[in-house]
Amino acid sequence: MRGSLLITRPEHEPAMRYLSRWSEKIIKEAKEKGVNVIDLYRNKANRKRVIGILEKRNPKLVVFNGHGSEFFVAGHNNEIILNNNDRKAVNSKIIFARSCKSAKVLGATAIKRGAIAYLGYKEDFWLVYNILQISRPLEDKTTALFLEPSNYVPIALLKGHPTGEADNKSKNLFRKNIEKLITEGPSSDDYYAIRYLLWDMMHQVCLGNQAATF
Amino acid sequence: MNEETKTSEQKIPEDLKETIKETVIARLDVLPADKKISIGSYGDFTKSELIEHVKEEDEVGQKVVDLELTFLKALKEGTLLKEILTPEEE
Repeated sequence: MRGSLLITRPEHEPAMRYLSRWSEKIIKEAKEKGVNVIDLYRNKANRKRVIGILEKRNPKLVVFNGHGSEFFVAGHNNEIILNNNDRKAVNSKIIFARSCKSAKVLGATAIKRGAIAYLGYKEDFWLVYNILQISRPLEDKTTALFLEPSNYVPIALLKGHPTGEADNKSKNLFRKNIEKLITEGPSSDDYYAIRYLLWDMMHQVCLGNQAATF
Repeated sequence: MNEETKTSEQKIPEDLKETIKETVIARLDVLPADKKISIGSYGDFTKSELIEHVKEEDEVGQKVVDLELTFLKALKEGTLLKEILTPEEE
């Protein structure tokens, strides 16, 4: 069996539920690759549990879903689960944080403190969803425009691609979705979403070692 | 708000600021009514809620303006096309 993946999936509000449900695709890919998955779902996505697992079980790949800021990533009910002072928890990890702004300061600090790579967003992560499909997040085609590319960061890592390449492959999927909407033109239901997709793509970064693999 | 936007915003005269606001509102107005836009911990908003925030010129409104200006700048300077036509090396 390959290394372990720790993934947090808070679900305390609609946007979090979308991230959580779409993360099932990451978990499925990991299991198919024989990766041990530590799935911290809903209230299990709390600081005590996250830090304990990061420090003691040392999963090499970490995926955070949740709100964030320059200095922290949050879990269920917005509890801060990783902050700028955590050292041991980030050591020797490849981290993907699907949260706002955390790559700006926390990501850079994590690299200084021994993380192998930190992939995430330097600004707010914008996401559009259809109110009528809130109970079926995986069927929401608007959300797919955002979360398929974003999901591809950890999926590419699980497939064995290096960190920098995983970031580029994900951005290329954002690009493909923008191109599709431009080609379809203003009659497309999601034409307006181009601006949000471009924003997320532009602010997605890979810090640290660009050649590291899981 | 990023530093670049903050700096440019400080130099924007009042009349131009009004024009920007009107442009942003017009662009938001084309959003479908059945969509919600999630802006991280700031919350999830319908288009009419976003328009209200832009009118109020509060923090959420400023985020919307920043995003729209970034996009319009990318259109004007050709960055959008460049971004799409130049895939990252894998």
